[in-house]
Amino acid sequence: MLARRDLLRACASSLALAPLALAPLACGHRTRPEYRDGRVVVTFWYAYGDLVRKVMLDLVARYNASQTRVFVEAVHQGDYYECLAKLRTALAAGAAPTLSHVVCEIIPYLARAGVLEDLGAYEGARAIPFVPALAQGGTFAAGDAQPLVAIPFNRSTPIAFLNARMLDEAHLVPPRTWDELVEAARKLTRRAANGEVRWGYEVPIQGWYWLAMVGQAGGRLIEPDGRVSLGGDAGEKALRFWQRLVRDEHVMRPPPGRDYQAWQSTNESFLGGRIAMMWSSTAHVRYLEDNATFPVVTAPLPRDVRASVPTGGTMFVVMRSAPDEEKRAAWEFVRWMCDAEQTIAWSTRTGYMPVTRPAVERLIERGWYGKHPNDRVAYDQLAAVEPWPWAPDLFRVERDVVEPRLEEGVLQGGDAHALMDDAREEAARPA
Amino acid sequence: MLGPTLVLLVVFFLLPIGVAAYESLFSWDILTPPRYVGTANYTALAAHGELLRVALRTLGYSVLVVAGTMTLGLGLALLLDRPGRFFGFVRASVFSAYVVSWVAVALLWMWILDGNSGAVGGVTRWLGLGSVSLLGDPRWALPTLAVVAVWKLTGYAMIVFLAGLQGVPRSLLEAAALDGAGSWGRFRHVTMPLLAPTASFVATTSLVTSFQAFDVVRIMTQGGPARATELFVYAIYEQIFLNLSVGRASALTVVFFVLLLAVAGLQLRVWRARAGVSR
Repeated sequence: MLARRDLLRACASSLALAPLALAPLACGHRTRPEYRDGRVVVTFWYAYGDLVRKVMLDLVARYNASQTRVFVEAVHQGDYYECLAKLRTALAAGAAPTLSHVVCEIIPYLARAGVLEDLGAYEGARAIPFVPALAQGGTFAAGDAQPLVAIPFNRSTPIAFLNARMLDEAHLVPPRTWDELVEAARKLTRRAANGEVRWGYEVPIQGWYWLAMVGQAGGRLIEPDGRVSLGGDAGEKALRFWQRLVRDEHVMRPPPGRDYQAWQSTNESFLGGRIAMMWSSTAHVRYLEDNATFPVVTAPLPRDVRASVPTGGTMFVVMRSAPDEEKRAAWEFVRWMCDAEQTIAWSTRTGYMPVTRPAVERLIERGWYGKHPNDRVAYDQLAAVEPWPWAPDLFRVERDVVEPRLEEGVLQGGDAHALMDDAREEAARPA
Repeated sequence: MLGPTLVLLVVFFLLPIGVAAYESLFSWDILTPPRYVGTANYTALAAHGELLRVALRTLGYSVLVVAGTMTLGLGLALLLDRPGRFFGFVRASVFSAYVVSWVAVALLWMWILDGNSGAVGGVTRWLGLGSVSLLGDPRWALPTLAVVAVWKLTGYAMIVFLAGLQGVPRSLLEAAALDGAGSWGRFRHVTMPLLAPTASFVATTSLVTSFQAFDVVRIMTQGGPARATELFVYAIYEQIFLNLSVGRASALTVVFFVLLLAVAGLQLRVWRARAGVSR
């Protein structure tokens, strides 16, 4: 009996303490900057692997070698989503880094949470000649009306990659419309006697690519009045188009895995000659060109009623909680990364877009785009960029609300209208 | 005497559960102030049966893992309960899978199951079925994960069953043989009843492990495709760390706790009933 009474007491006291659980996470601020050998340490959390990681670490090493006052310590934190999860918990625990880079969709949320430094007043912040579509002002609708919290770093758009050899054999040119895409995918799909299929087309079933199609079908994710429409009819049309390719025409294979696992699988299938056309990120241009045993050509995404692509990749953000000296040092590093020389090194070695106009101009002068027409396609496609809405719920809506329903629609054949209705209802609920 | 135990119980068990129950009543993303929403998180999770689907999926996975582990573990123990180096080598080989980390196991099986370059893809192509992606098909992804878990846990079950078999007196088996019992009769009426406590132990540990499944989901499927492998622990992780919703993650934790409590209660009831029968 005694044990039971004690247990009940313990239960009651633990429940009474529960309200305190929400209290301590008040995004602590560090007041003392960290020094190493007399240099201010800028802790930089990044989320790259393979070639991109190597290029970035080379640039950081070059910066550190040129410095006597600042030392940038780059710390790998997994993929974008893992890095973001760690960043949020570190912010809540008062242990955030000075600098990080985050996917664009999360920036409005982090800005609303008040954890990002307003960089507008930092020296030269408003004067960096960014390519308009890739800066905060062009990435987000009315992004200039918000405090300047994000500086473009590794920016990209979705783009079509095609196996030129297969295209030539089938006497095809890159499809320019959705109808042409279906036709080309039909002609490029081959079924062998052992059941093996070479697919005409492949794309990860993910919000980013669906959003491109929503734009192409004439819709937008969130209306200017803040209503989450998920593109209305255009959103449903985009999902139905995928369903048609996968379930009716049998010319598209949805890759296994989610998130970046699906991207990797698609790239591997393309390099292995198991698919003829795919949509992926401009970030993979160099990797695919260097590793393919066939000529790789890129093309703008096909249009339905218009051309449209979202931007992707990440932007630099400085944490407001960092000591002032570290923030100033982080800004110096960010500015250095935006210099034409570094921007060119970064974009030409990876495939990410050059983010400043002087960098683009120099590349044109050097004849880079003549030698690398795939990069030119990516740059020209910026004319069709549809800005993201500045909506704090953007990331949640895309990941939690839209993506599972896209998978359900494509893989299980759920009704597109019912799924999107359900998604709109879910998006309206508080997180 | 109960003091230290009670403190540990309160700090590491009751307090976290109390905190989760409290936080489940808020809409909260860690970084912005929490907002009281009552039972809205539970309602949102229950909408369209998603909560029920996660619970059934987790239970289904556990049933497959427990049944597979016990059947294979017992079968292998009976086959390999023999002296000799060869059998010793086979026993060690089967058990070695249990020692390997979940991450390594998951990566190994991803390679085996790869529809293009893996062994499974090779077999399906040889059979004329083309490249089959078991992890990419919502119908097969969960059973495939269960197979991976069974493969890893069977060695442990086998070792425990082997230990249990050493406690079955040879004299009883010989007496049954003299009375005319065949090998199935001896197994059914002598070995199995004496192995019952061992079987209960294996069932409990397999059940606990299967309910805690996370690594294998995180690495092999990330809950997909179409949420087909979203088990409770992964769903909680995804809600809090990827979907920025502490409230919903806490609501899931509370429901998971209640589910575990119900399963544990059921198990206790069955054990007590058995103990009553054996007395």
